[in-house]
Amino acid sequence: MIISNRWTQGIAVAVISIIIVFPNRSEAQLSRERVETNPVVEDIFWGTTNVGIGTVQNVSGNNLKSTVMHTFGLVSGGADVFWGLDLGANTRLGLDYGITDKVSVGIGRMTFNKVVDIRSKVNVLRQTESGSVPLDVAVKLSTGISTLSGRGLAFSERLSYLVSLMAAKKFDRLSFQLAPMFARFNRVSAGDQNNLFGLGFLTQYELNERFALSAEYLPVLSDRNLGTEDMMALSLNINTGGHIFQIFFSSSQWHGEQYIMANNSDKFWEGDFRFGFNINRVFGL
Amino acid sequence: MCINSAICRRAAAGLVLSLLIFSGASAQVTSEDIVYYTDSGYAEFASSVPLHSFTGESDHLTGMIDLRENLVDFYLDLNTLETGIGKRDRDMYQTLNTEDHPFAEFTGTLETPFSPDSSGQQVARVRGDFTINGNTREVTIEGTLQPQNGSLILNAGWELRLEDYDIEAPGILFYRVDEVQEIEIEATLNPVDPETLSSE
Repeated sequence: MIISNRWTQGIAVAVISIIIVFPNRSEAQLSRERVETNPVVEDIFWGTTNVGIGTVQNVSGNNLKSTVMHTFGLVSGGADVFWGLDLGANTRLGLDYGITDKVSVGIGRMTFNKVVDIRSKVNVLRQTESGSVPLDVAVKLSTGISTLSGRGLAFSERLSYLVSLMAAKKFDRLSFQLAPMFARFNRVSAGDQNNLFGLGFLTQYELNERFALSAEYLPVLSDRNLGTEDMMALSLNINTGGHIFQIFFSSSQWHGEQYIMANNSDKFWEGDFRFGFNINRVFGL
Repeated sequence: MCINSAICRRAAAGLVLSLLIFSGASAQVTSEDIVYYTDSGYAEFASSVPLHSFTGESDHLTGMIDLRENLVDFYLDLNTLETGIGKRDRDMYQTLNTEDHPFAEFTGTLETPFSPDSSGQQVARVRGDFTINGNTREVTIEGTLQPQNGSLILNAGWELRLEDYDIEAPGILFYRVDEVQEIEIEATLNPVDPETLSSE
């Protein structure tokens, strides 16, 4: 019995020695590691433009986004004008192309003043999930060209410009954006301003993966054009997978920040708002 | 430190014998001892619905075939799948619940004989656990393995039923997604020193 115990102890010592000498013979899975260890916060806003104000959201690389934007007459016109729909629409058709995930270029054309606009958006910073970058920051540049005929205008007199710096942050389902912006019109009517400064406020709340509510407000901070008012809009955003629909009420019938600041003459809170909708569709190229 | 010299002698003899056995074994490294590894394999999830077909693709399939332990272990960071439309990618990640379960993974064993010394394409069948969306089911997957210039070329494909893994297909007014996803993987695995692999 004593001999047996001694052999047992000897074998145990030998086995422990082997385990110490050869620790890596046991079966082991690979450790799971994320490819992107510090991902960015996606979909801070669902649309690259909310109603009238551009957002930090950009078109993904090698994607083409088509947009159809409509704004109709004032709802306060009542049933006689089918709550503004009979009064005609200011329609903007647009295409934006993502050169990369952070740089896009676009072109569009709206009914009012037959404006053709060329624009670009660059994401300078992307908010990260870890918080190492707390904000999304983007710059939007846009040039508008009025193509109205019979006005005797030189090409340069038809031009307007916009530069907007957009800073946004998403908290879970709630997003905010501030967008100081500067607009320049080469030629204006007597009494109007060549230069306009504005500050866009945007917010969006995701109700679920399909629906989100958003609001925007664009006060003009500099001397303003006579008879113009700050623009405001409320929108319901619908994600159908293939499309983003934005159904909204807005005080402005214009598209594009510089034209909204220069021309909006309606006060949202006094009932001067109109129905409109945007349709956004993205294609992979 | 030895209490009993007889025990010490026997333990020492056992240790020496063990060392001799293992050193002899390691001196005779054969092709069956090789561990093959990749972190740049291709994986494809295809949804085939008329007018709404799309494919999620990734070049970040990571895995190993350990012929010593007969262990086949692969995983894919699902956030690397791309369909060609950024917004659709992000909607797909939500459907797959990648925030809580970022990986699709398979761990199992090779059931068919495999000879790394043969240059021809060999049918390979593996059985093991496939996990996605935090749900695990035992699966058997067939594919091929082909040794080529010291590496292994892997091809395999199988079907994944979304409901088997509690993945809720988006509603018809959202995306039309096939309840059965066709999965294909392709990878070139290279021999590696097992000590360099980080394991759990």
